Amino acid sequence: MSKLYTDTDKYGYQSTFALVEAYNSAMKDLVRKRFAESGRDWKSFVAGDSYDTITKDDIANIEARLLALGYRFEPSAMSSAAERPNAYKDSGLHNENFSFEHPTAPTAPPDPQGRELRGAGDNVVTRDKNLIGIARYVRTSDKVLQYLTNGVPENTIAIVDDSGGTLTAPILEKFTGVLCAGGTTRSHLAILTREYGIPCLMNARLSGVKEGDRLEIECSAKAKSADDYQSGVEAPANVWRI
Amino acid sequence: MSEIKLTYAQLLETNNLIQQNADEIYWLCATRTVQESKIFPVSAYILFSYLNAYYRYPTLLRKIEARMSAEEIGDRARNQGLKIVAWCFPCFYLLGREMLINWGVIKPTDAFEDVAYVLDFWKRFQLSWHRNNGNLTNKQAGHRAQIMPEQRLQVFHADAYECRIGDPLHKAAQAFLATTAQYGFLVSCESRLTLHNYGPYKISDTREMLVRDFLELSESGVPWLDGVGQEIPYNNLTVAMIVEGCHINLLDDWGSFESTPELRSEHMVAVGLYSADTLSNGHLPVGMGSREELTATFLDLTARIKTATAKLWHVMANWTRDQQLDAGALTYYGVIKEFALIAGVYAMEDWMMIDERAERFRPLLNDEYGNLFLGELVGYISSPSQRMHPYTMMQHNDQPTKALSYYPYSMLADGHYTKSVGAMRPGSSNLPPKNDRYRTSQGVLTLAEYNRRSREFVPEVCAEKFRYLCADWVKYHYDLPLADELFKLDQKHSRLLKDKGAALTRPEIEALRGGA
Repeated sequence: MSKLYTDTDKYGYQSTFALVEAYNSAMKDLVRKRFAESGRDWKSFVAGDSYDTITKDDIANIEARLLALGYRFEPSAMSSAAERPNAYKDSGLHNENFSFEHPTAPTAPPDPQGRELRGAGDNVVTRDKNLIGIARYVRTSDKVLQYLTNGVPENTIAIVDDSGGTLTAPILEKFTGVLCAGGTTRSHLAILTREYGIPCLMNARLSGVKEGDRLEIECSAKAKSADDYQSGVEAPANVWRI
Repeated sequence: MSEIKLTYAQLLETNNLIQQNADEIYWLCATRTVQESKIFPVSAYILFSYLNAYYRYPTLLRKIEARMSAEEIGDRARNQGLKIVAWCFPCFYLLGREMLINWGVIKPTDAFEDVAYVLDFWKRFQLSWHRNNGNLTNKQAGHRAQIMPEQRLQVFHADAYECRIGDPLHKAAQAFLATTAQYGFLVSCESRLTLHNYGPYKISDTREMLVRDFLELSESGVPWLDGVGQEIPYNNLTVAMIVEGCHINLLDDWGSFESTPELRSEHMVAVGLYSADTLSNGHLPVGMGSREELTATFLDLTARIKTATAKLWHVMANWTRDQQLDAGALTYYGVIKEFALIAGVYAMEDWMMIDERAERFRPLLNDEYGNLFLGELVGYISSPSQRMHPYTMMQHNDQPTKALSYYPYSMLADGHYTKSVGAMRPGSSNLPPKNDRYRTSQGVLTLAEYNRRSREFVPEVCAEKFRYLCADWVKYHYDLPLADELFKLDQKHSRLLKDKGAALTRPEIEALRGGA
C-alpha cells in the first residue's frame, strides 16, 4: 500500500476524538488504496484520477463498516435521527417527563425566601430585577407548531437546548424568558433575546426542573462577556424553583 | 488579475496571508460562539461548504476577475454594503484544504497557484474595501470596521431621527431590528451571514453610530425565498443606529459587535433606514421623509417580515436532511456570490450547486462526526495537521498548534507541488430550482437582465472622476467644486444635506439636526 505525505509526522498526533480518528484513518486507507491502484504519480492522481476513483460509494462504505459494529451517532438535527433511526441514538426529544440533569448544575435546599436552587447559566444582559415565570420545555418543531397554532401560554420561561435562532423563530418574541442549555452569550439565540429584550441565560446547567415549575431567574446578575469566556472567568446567574 | 508564480517572495506572502486568517480562527470560533440547531445539521453543512469552496472558488474567482478586478469589487462593496467576507471567504476555503489534508486526499503542497491566487484576490479586495482605514481586516484595525467615507456618514448622522425608549419610533425600530435579525438567521440557515455591522463611528463625546445591514430579505439568490420573500419590497436594508451611554468596543470580522455596557434598547437614541444593492447609487433612504413615515415603514416591514418568517420556518421544518445540508452548505459557500453579481457573471450552476468532488463526501457528514471534526478544526485546533513542535505557543491559547497549514518552502528546492485542483466539475442540489426572479433596486429582474445591467452599471461614486477622491484628498481640497460634487452624490436624497457640499463639519451637522 502507498505511503501518504502525512504518514510521516514527527509529532505523531492523532485526532482528539475517537470517531474523528476512525473516520479520518479510514479515509487515508482509502486514498492509499486508490492511489496504489492508479499506478500514477501523485501529480496525475490528486487532481485527476482521484476525482473518479474515490467515490461516494467508497465513503458510504466507511460509515457502513462503523454502523455494522453497533456504533450509533449522537444526533443534533431532528431530521437526522428521524430519517435514519438505525444510524442515530434516540434523542429523547419526545419524552414528556423530560428534565435536564446536568452534572455541573448547582443545587441547594430552599433559602429563607423559599427559593430552591436548581441551576445556573450565563446572563446575556443585566436586567433591573429578576424574572419569575413558568418553565416550559421547547425542544421540537412539533412543540413550536403547537404554540404557533394555539399561542404561547403567558409567563412562559422557555427551556431549550438549541442555541440557534431557527427552531423557535416564529414564537420567540412571545416568551417571557429563555433558559438555553447550550451556547454562549454570543450565540444566535442570545443575540435575538437581546434584540427582543427577553431575559435569557445561556449555557444553563439545570437539574430537576420540570414542565410547569415556577422559576426565578437571576437576570439581574452580571452579564458574561466574551473576555470572561476567553479568560475562563465564571459569572453564573442562578435559577431557583419557587 | 495577478499572475501567480512560485517564488520565495510569493510563498512568504501566501503563508503570511494563511497565518493572518489562522490567528483569527480560534479567537472567533472558540471564544465568540457555540452554535447548535435542532433544525439544521449545522456543523455537517459547514464542513460540506468548506469542501465546495476548496474545489470551486479558484475557478469562480478567476471568472469574476476576468470581468472586474478584486480592487474594483472592493470599491463597489465599500459603497453598497456587502456580506461578511473578511474572515469567511478565505477561511472557508482554507479549512476545506485542511480537511482534505487530514483525510490524506491532498498534500500540503497541492494546488499552490490556486491557494496563492485566492488569497491574493482576498488581499486586494480587503485592502480596497478597507481603503478608508488602511487595514486588511477588522482585526488589524483593532476590531473596528470603519469602512464608509465621511460624506455617507454625514448623511446617516444628519437624517437620523431622534427616538427614546417607549416612543412610537423607538418601539417600531426595535421590533424591526429583532424581527429582521431573526429572519436573517432563518434565511441563512442558522448562520449570521446575512447580518452585518459596520462601525463604530463617532457622533459626539457621548454618542456612537453603528451601521447595521440586513441582507437577502426578498427574492434573491437562494431558492428557499421563492414564495416567501416576494412581499418584502427590499432585498437589503440598512439601519443607521445612533447609541448613547454605550461604547461599541469590538466589531469583529464576522460583522458582530460587542459593547460596554451590553447594548440595550434604551441605548438607541436616533435611527435611519436605507437600502443599497449592486445596482444602486449608494444607500437610498427608505421611509425617511418624516418621523411618522419612518415609524410606519418600520411597522409595515416588520409585519411583512414576520409573515415571511412563519412561511420560511414551515418550509425549512419540512426539508429532508439532505436539503438542509445543501441549503446550509450553499449559504456558507455562497458568502462571496455577490462578487459574481457585482461583476455581472452570476450563474445558478456556479453558486447554488454542490460540486461532484465535494458531493462524494456527503456520507461522511453525520451529525456527530460533523460536530467533532469541526470542533477539532476550529475550536480545539487539534487535528494532526494543526499540531506543531512543542516549543510553539499559538496566539490566544499558547498551545503547540496552528490552525492552518502553510506551504512548505521545500517546494522551491525540490519542485514537488501541484498547481491547481483543475477545472470546475458539474454540480447538483436536492433543493428545488430557483425561480428566475431577483429583487433589485431597479425592480424584479431575470438573472440574464440582472447580469446585463450589472455589467453596464457603474455607481456614480465609482466613476473615474470620483473613484480616487479619498478622505485624504478631501481633507486638503474640501473647498474645491469637485469636492462639493463628490459630497452631493451622497447628499442627493438627503432630507437635511441635499446640495450642501463638502464643507460641513460634524458639529455643523449636529446643529442642522436641531433635535431631529
